[in-house]
Amino acid sequence: MFKLDLKKVAIAFGLSLFAVTTLSAKEEVIKLKPLPLDKRAVDGAVEYTVQKGVYAGVYKVNPQTQKLSGKYGREATPNEIKAWDIDVRYDWQGLPEGKGTAVEGDELFEKHCAMCHGDMGTGGNGYPKLTGGDITTLKNQLVDPERGDEPPERSIGAYWPYASTLWWYVKTGMPFPHPMSLTDDEVYSIVAYLLQVEEIQIDGKDIEDEQVIDKKTLMKVVMPNVNGFYPDVNGPDGPQVMKKFLSNPANYGTPTERCMKNCPTGKVVHIKASLDDGITPPPTQVKDLPKVKEEKAGGNSKFAKLYESKCKACHGNKAIAPVPGDKEAWAPRIKQGQETLYEHALKGFQGMPPKGGHANLDDATIKGIVDYMVEQSK
Amino acid sequence: MNGGNKTLSKEIDKKEVASRRGFLKNVAASAVAAGTVAPMAAFAGDDPAIINEPEWGTKLGEPVDKNLYGLPSPYEHNVLRRVHKLLSSGDMYASVAMCPVQDLEGIITPNGLFFNRCHGGVAIVDPNKYRLMIHGLVEKPLVLTLDELKKYPSESVIHFIECPANGSTEWRAPQFNTLQFLKGMMSQAEWTGVRLKHILKDVGIKPEAKWVLAEGSDNSHMGRTIPLEKILDDAMVVWAQNGEALRPEQGYPVRLLVPGWEGNLNVKWLSRLEIGDKPWHAKEETSKYTMLMPSGKAIRFFWPMEVNSVITRPCPDKDWKGYKKGDVIEIEGLAWSGHGVVKGVDISFDGGKNWVEASLKGLVLPKAWTRFSYMFKWDGKPLLLSSRAYDEVGNVQPTIDQEVGKMGVENIYHRNAIVTWEVKANGEVNNVQIRS
Repeated sequence: MFKLDLKKVAIAFGLSLFAVTTLSAKEEVIKLKPLPLDKRAVDGAVEYTVQKGVYAGVYKVNPQTQKLSGKYGREATPNEIKAWDIDVRYDWQGLPEGKGTAVEGDELFEKHCAMCHGDMGTGGNGYPKLTGGDITTLKNQLVDPERGDEPPERSIGAYWPYASTLWWYVKTGMPFPHPMSLTDDEVYSIVAYLLQVEEIQIDGKDIEDEQVIDKKTLMKVVMPNVNGFYPDVNGPDGPQVMKKFLSNPANYGTPTERCMKNCPTGKVVHIKASLDDGITPPPTQVKDLPKVKEEKAGGNSKFAKLYESKCKACHGNKAIAPVPGDKEAWAPRIKQGQETLYEHALKGFQGMPPKGGHANLDDATIKGIVDYMVEQSK
Repeated sequence: MNGGNKTLSKEIDKKEVASRRGFLKNVAASAVAAGTVAPMAAFAGDDPAIINEPEWGTKLGEPVDKNLYGLPSPYEHNVLRRVHKLLSSGDMYASVAMCPVQDLEGIITPNGLFFNRCHGGVAIVDPNKYRLMIHGLVEKPLVLTLDELKKYPSESVIHFIECPANGSTEWRAPQFNTLQFLKGMMSQAEWTGVRLKHILKDVGIKPEAKWVLAEGSDNSHMGRTIPLEKILDDAMVVWAQNGEALRPEQGYPVRLLVPGWEGNLNVKWLSRLEIGDKPWHAKEETSKYTMLMPSGKAIRFFWPMEVNSVITRPCPDKDWKGYKKGDVIEIEGLAWSGHGVVKGVDISFDGGKNWVEASLKGLVLPKAWTRFSYMFKWDGKPLLLSSRAYDEVGNVQPTIDQEVGKMGVENIYHRNAIVTWEVKANGEVNNVQIRS
């Protein structure tokens, strides 16, 4: 796009000067002067300071607060830190002891994960696809689906640089409707299973179904795409590496000049495949009074409210669990009889944990919610 | 009135009151008979909205104790955050509700319209049980309650927060014809809280410390790595937005504020800051929030939101159908940069071939939305209307060709290319892209 470079008029000077000299009728460009590195913060942005009680030239601050401050709070106890400090860093710092196997992980995945992430983590229902990618697809650019372009597949094995992240996230963020409910051993098993599906090797060998994956074994895992990310921030000068990277706009396709006249332009591309239809509620600029919504019978009952707050995370999404009102999905279930439905709700069934994970609700309340859901679905 | 006339005046008052009562009775009687007071005669050219007394002028309004927490006029019920299934991870819990940028005025977003992105639903945190822990490479690990946190000296600052995925549906081609879904993953508020550097004085950071893990206490326990330099520079823990407690959608009772940086780094429901010597590489730093380049390699961390702008009037939602040839129209928009202050905005009417300078208006603050304005006499002809901002570090908003030329179309995040509106002769406005 810069083939006109020779005819381009570039004038370099300070930010405040905008005079443009025309040497020909071609491009007229104002070059901006980049802020020097020593005036930039770690992100390449302006580093603002307090000068004469004014921060960044706009906010007055109490200059006393720059020096004086109270000491509040109390020292955390070692046990409190232990309770909360359960992250696992990329160098495995924080990984607890434990063990699991891929075959146990398979079972756990079926029970807790497959309803969203699909069989073997291959995706579905709009939830993230975890497996089945290929590192060679990462160079793919899906510019035009009509000419058969394929997207890059950012699955765990193809994209994620560290297996530590997988352990940490499964432990603290999953299963989605009730995280922090898996034991460390269960997390080891699910991680072993996903790594096995992704054909990640340990010591140059595939992960066997019954192979015990413990802390020592897991820490040997090197992900195929470990070198697929830049800049390298893991060294002692990581923040400085980032500062340099972010202070150079060429690294992210950002120009430092304003073309003012006869600039390169292009064709007008209109919307071909509009996504507007899926917007909820539909956009409008109308100013009128809202229409009064008709309340569905029972919509305000105690059980309806409990359904909303406790059960809807799963039973509001037909990909995970039957949704009240979905007569087709409920018909065969209602046929099994209310007692069976009560039992499933109380004791758990397939992906559903006992009482939907709400152990604090008494049996009568759970039954009341089941009644409500059935009533909505007849 | 002096003493001598008091009695007289009282009598006159009584008489007047009596006669007024009689008059009112008569009016009431005739109103009952006729159904209403006869309206003034209206002539051609008269606006009935003026000639006829409006209904709200003829009855009591709502009592002052009706909405003790106020609500917008019911007529504004269409000014809402909006959602789209394709922008969610399967459901409305790991999802985003977009801010109606087209309906905003000035630079502050009302709290109820602030965009809402979360990874495991909006946590409702009990402020009495709220704790912030600061630990790791420190001399004294610290626990603060909300009350203790608020004892530190506070500051109030105006900053935007923008999700780096804002505009991510536009990498390949234009797909939305509403500003809300083009740029609605951002909002701006006045935030109140304490600079973290004040608190960290107290814990004694060890010399080898370089990075900080910020973690939320919500369902996703979302953690992100932030360099210590930023934490000691302008990062804050904030508990208020626009004068009231943070909304649950914004992390009530406390969120991290890293001015100018990816929305995701402004961790909500903040519970833990761990100081360390290496970055963590959390989930939102590996599978998500990394930028996959055409080379197949990905940019791992990308913190600031780059210089950006969009014209908000007109836009597809606020078109020019109410204007005609010869009208002088204000073109208005928002510009912002996570790198500093917006220095200026240029406007093009011909799809980016030629540009003129717009004016900035109102408050011009660092790392904040800034309004720009240009007065334009429309000749009624179609236009290709674009804005292009530049900032204090010398960065200029790229054309689509410039941005895609470097970044490709698969990196999802940090799209800040120039937005172009097609204005048709009939005043209709559409989202288009200019591409070579």
